[in-house]
Amino acid sequence: MPSTTETLPSNGRSKGLFQNTAGLSTLITVTVLTLAWLAGFASRLFAVIRFESIIHEFDPWFNYRSTAYMVQHGFYNFLNWFDERAWYPLGRIVGGTVYPGLMITSGTIHWILHALNIPIHIRDICVFLAPVFSGLTAIATYLLTSELWSRGAGLFAACFIAIVPGYSSRSVAGSYDNEGIAIFALQFTYYLWLKSVKSGSVFWSICTALSYFYMVSAWGGYVFIINLIPLHVFVLLIMGRFSQRLFVSYSVFYIIGLLLSMQIPFVGFQPIRTSEHMAASGVFALLMAIGALKYLHSLNPKGQWKQLLILGGMLAAGLVFLAVVLLTYMGVIAPWSGRFYSLWDTAYAKIHIPIIASVSEHQPTTWSSFFFDLHVLVCTFPVGLWYCIKNVNDERVFVALYALSAVYFAGVMVRLMLTLTPVVCVLAGIAFSILLDLALREDEVPEQSPDSEESKSLYDKAGKVKKRTLEAAPNADTGLGMNVRSGTLIAFMILLMLFSVHCTWATSNAYSSPSIVLASYGNDGSRKILDDFREAYGWLSQNTAEDARIMSWWDYGYQIAGMGNRTTLVDNNTWNNSHIALVGKAMASNESAAYSIMTMLDVDYVLVIFGGAIGYSGDDINKFIWMVRIAEGEHPKDIHEVDYFTERGEYRIDSEGSKTMLNCLMYKLSYYRYDSGGSPPGYDRTRSALPGNRGFKLTYLEEAYTTEHWLVRIYRVKKPSEFNRPRLSLAKRKISTSNTISKKLSLGAASTTSRRRKGALKNKPTVVKGKKVGKLE
Amino acid sequence: MKTTIILGTLITFLTLVCADHETLVLIDNLNIKETHSQFFKSLQERGYGLTFKLADDANLVLSKYGEYLYKNLIVFAPSVLEFGGQVDSEAITKFIDDGGNLLMAGNAAAGDVYREIASECGFEMDEESAAVIDHFNYDVTDEGDHTRIVVSPKNLIKAPTIVGEQNTQPLLFEGTGLIVDKDNSLVLPILSADSTAYSYNPKSQVKEYPHAVGRKTVLIAALQARNNARIVFSGSLFFFSDEAFNSPVTKVHGDKTKSDVSGNKILAIRLTEWVFGERGRLRVRNVDHHRQGEKEPSSAYTITDTVVYRIEIEELKNGKWQPFEANDVQLEFVRIDPFIRTTLQKKPNGVYEAVFKVPDVWGVYQFKVDYDRVGYTRLYHSTQVSVRPLQHTQYERFIPSAYPYYVSSFSMMIGVFLFSFVFLYYKEDQPKTKSE
Repeated sequence: MPSTTETLPSNGRSKGLFQNTAGLSTLITVTVLTLAWLAGFASRLFAVIRFESIIHEFDPWFNYRSTAYMVQHGFYNFLNWFDERAWYPLGRIVGGTVYPGLMITSGTIHWILHALNIPIHIRDICVFLAPVFSGLTAIATYLLTSELWSRGAGLFAACFIAIVPGYSSRSVAGSYDNEGIAIFALQFTYYLWLKSVKSGSVFWSICTALSYFYMVSAWGGYVFIINLIPLHVFVLLIMGRFSQRLFVSYSVFYIIGLLLSMQIPFVGFQPIRTSEHMAASGVFALLMAIGALKYLHSLNPKGQWKQLLILGGMLAAGLVFLAVVLLTYMGVIAPWSGRFYSLWDTAYAKIHIPIIASVSEHQPTTWSSFFFDLHVLVCTFPVGLWYCIKNVNDERVFVALYALSAVYFAGVMVRLMLTLTPVVCVLAGIAFSILLDLALREDEVPEQSPDSEESKSLYDKAGKVKKRTLEAAPNADTGLGMNVRSGTLIAFMILLMLFSVHCTWATSNAYSSPSIVLASYGNDGSRKILDDFREAYGWLSQNTAEDARIMSWWDYGYQIAGMGNRTTLVDNNTWNNSHIALVGKAMASNESAAYSIMTMLDVDYVLVIFGGAIGYSGDDINKFIWMVRIAEGEHPKDIHEVDYFTERGEYRIDSEGSKTMLNCLMYKLSYYRYDSGGSPPGYDRTRSALPGNRGFKLTYLEEAYTTEHWLVRIYRVKKPSEFNRPRLSLAKRKISTSNTISKKLSLGAASTTSRRRKGALKNKPTVVKGKKVGKLE
Repeated sequence: MKTTIILGTLITFLTLVCADHETLVLIDNLNIKETHSQFFKSLQERGYGLTFKLADDANLVLSKYGEYLYKNLIVFAPSVLEFGGQVDSEAITKFIDDGGNLLMAGNAAAGDVYREIASECGFEMDEESAAVIDHFNYDVTDEGDHTRIVVSPKNLIKAPTIVGEQNTQPLLFEGTGLIVDKDNSLVLPILSADSTAYSYNPKSQVKEYPHAVGRKTVLIAALQARNNARIVFSGSLFFFSDEAFNSPVTKVHGDKTKSDVSGNKILAIRLTEWVFGERGRLRVRNVDHHRQGEKEPSSAYTITDTVVYRIEIEELKNGKWQPFEANDVQLEFVRIDPFIRTTLQKKPNGVYEAVFKVPDVWGVYQFKVDYDRVGYTRLYHSTQVSVRPLQHTQYERFIPSAYPYYVSSFSMMIGVFLFSFVFLYYKEDQPKTKSE
């Protein structure tokens, strides 16, 4: 809120003459933004209402745990926190491997509220942080759009971003993740950048750098900013739009932003050592070179300087490029990271880094999800883009680049839909504003004029484009009849209504599941809660030793640490591929090979997720092939992906499944003693098959706990000392005995029924009653 | 009141002490009590409470209400086909798994129960009626089958803790041979036969290749299970008999070794001392680790700290825990792999100490002492500590290589100050030359 009340009067003041309408439009703006904030906040509360105020999914659990740690122990202890409970036995330096912005934000809120004597638990702050920030994002989007186009468009964009599923998917209540605050920081940084490019003032540039600093502290996606802004500058240079404003704003932003970003321990020296950041410094050098050439030009503004300018510019660009290549070659600058490569070549990760490809949100986006996440906006944003390109100025170049790159990235990775959503909202807002302008222009002249007036006043600052927009505006609205106009209006109202209905529906149905509590619906619509995850983690925290080490696939690492408070081997911070591969290898090996890995890693318990009984498809058997691939990447001699498929290349667990598959640890732990799942007993509902290997026994592990719906199964790994005597198995015995185990077992059964059992001796002297045999002399 | 309490505690204490020596002897024939009287007497002299029961007694129990009544079990009942009461081979293996010690001796007639128990411990007893035959090393008292063999004490395992040090007399043995599983690292062949021996039915012709031939024929085998329960399995019950204890030994062939008395008694006593845990027991009394120069133990160290680790080890000697003396106790500092492996320095009173520098790699480490020697109980102790990286305040502040940067930043500050001073106060005649 403070930011709106601060910026809006300045807009109003700039108009001066139209005091009354300015007041009215300010009122409208504030009202709409407040409502957008409220709507955005409210639509994100489905999870809290349906379930409870709980942290969702996986990563948020880590964020919550570290926030709670920070609140409890203070910031410096958090910065130096060495978490020995994660990545056993490697440990993790949390302070140096985390973007602390999120924790600091909620920690600050917690601190302020407690200073005001409002005792609120840190968990509630964490749960509601993202919905609250969605309102700030709406305001930042409003500012950005009104900077680009008009305040009307800004209001549209703010309303869109408040409820659009593409953004609310990452910011529902309980989804306590970096993205929740990072999108706000992203939009706000862009707004400030445009402001500084427009004004060329050092003040706005420093504000941009500060906002960028916040973004760096909050999310790894800051790389997007530090590449997009230089790209903007570079394109402006190519377009011949070099100006002192650009020079000042970029050089100030780059230097201050660089220094600030290096203050985040996790980022450290990356901004000067990695290829991802080299575009920014390259553009900086280029800008300097061109600035110098321009200065030389200004000394003697006549003659052949122009060619020299172009030549010198190209030469400088070439030099910068060569320097970067050379430094990379020399190893001073780290080459592109694998995650970055996978942005250009979608097949790269699949071949080289299975761990990246294994994450579902790193998969390429399907067309349907574009529509699902953005609905009508995805159809209208090209209109806005077209208008921006048509009426181009410095800022609109930026938004065009933003849109194009974000569309590309969103197409590569589902996860990056998040960066596309804001720009789509901005451009769709512009499109709707233009269309509404057209439709309403003749009817309500007073409503329209302030809008165009304002846009004029905005363009005044940009200077160059003033003429162009003026001639564009009259072009656009000619010959629209009354009927067409009202028809269009009604059509758009219906579209927007449908949009909001879709947004609410998508947020409520697709994105509001905490994923640690599952709900299933019966035929009569009754809801059944499956709380197996918390049941299992609760069991772990109550029944295992304080320092017990739990092995599970990395997906569940944060949850075990957060809810079970136990040591984990691998978790969702997938920084050490070889450690994960070791766990994958243990899961993919047979029991005895797995046992040696598990004893090496001091594993006490193994936790697997098994969805066969209730038909939960996100279980470990379905993820298993990724474990095999990751393990094969590190241990190509021991694990072969082919072994886990049938001869026809099918991945199946029934009797036709491959032998390796049916004997690996993951299979055994999932199907051990499994007899539920309907008829026939032991039927796997997720894979619709009857497991191929059944009734087996476990040698090195024993079942410790299985939750109500078989969803989580916990096994205890036996200690080597439990294999007390190395007994000689029947098969290895050279001398056959008549007393085989089966006989012994039947005897054992007899002994339980009759406790007093007479033994048998060979050649025993027959005892006659009444005659003493006791001592045979 | 007080006295009764004291008396009560005393009684409990006494029963506890006795419980450690409570021994059940299973025999198939009360006669054995007489024929092996010297052996049993030596045990009783050392304080063992022996309870003799016939192996087919219908009331046989090893435990009551989940508590074991006996700490040790002696089975001298080769002719048993099936134990009585609640005892069977499963109950006996469970007894071992729960920490009980077992001494078992059989002979050529021993039944399958014996074989079952032997296999459960990782070795095998030869077929029924098979006996160890050695045509070159038999005693004069032999009855023609060449089964009462003379074994040189050189064939004993080199482990003074188990067999004692003064075994010079030849040993008499009559009974069946044992075959040891090669893959089994816990089994100890205490006494093996000479290279001329083999195990077969002395009454029948040799048709098949014998199961045990030459040095591979083990006469007495032992096992120390991972829970430190001890088992001694002898193929010969005769070995422990008064006859074997007392009789002179004269070998018929070869070097014609002669001895007035066999070494059986000494060895049998040594073996019982070991198997019932009178010797070769180690324990950790105290472990303590801290930074050098500090007193308090710490659960977290910083990389490159110097750490002092002390462990106090005791050995049971003559019924008392006394400082253990050795110079080969090692310490490992492990994070998956051992980063440091060092021999602990011996200090007085059984204290072993190591001072070392923590590696420059952070993580969760374990101090591990794993002392596993033949005859001794396995001594294993691990302590988990975390080794953390430097805190943000612990880095060196003023490193020489940073001085140029300090100079540059301060010179820049001064330069800017001077420049602004000049810029503000220098008045140019004709301003606005390069303002744009």
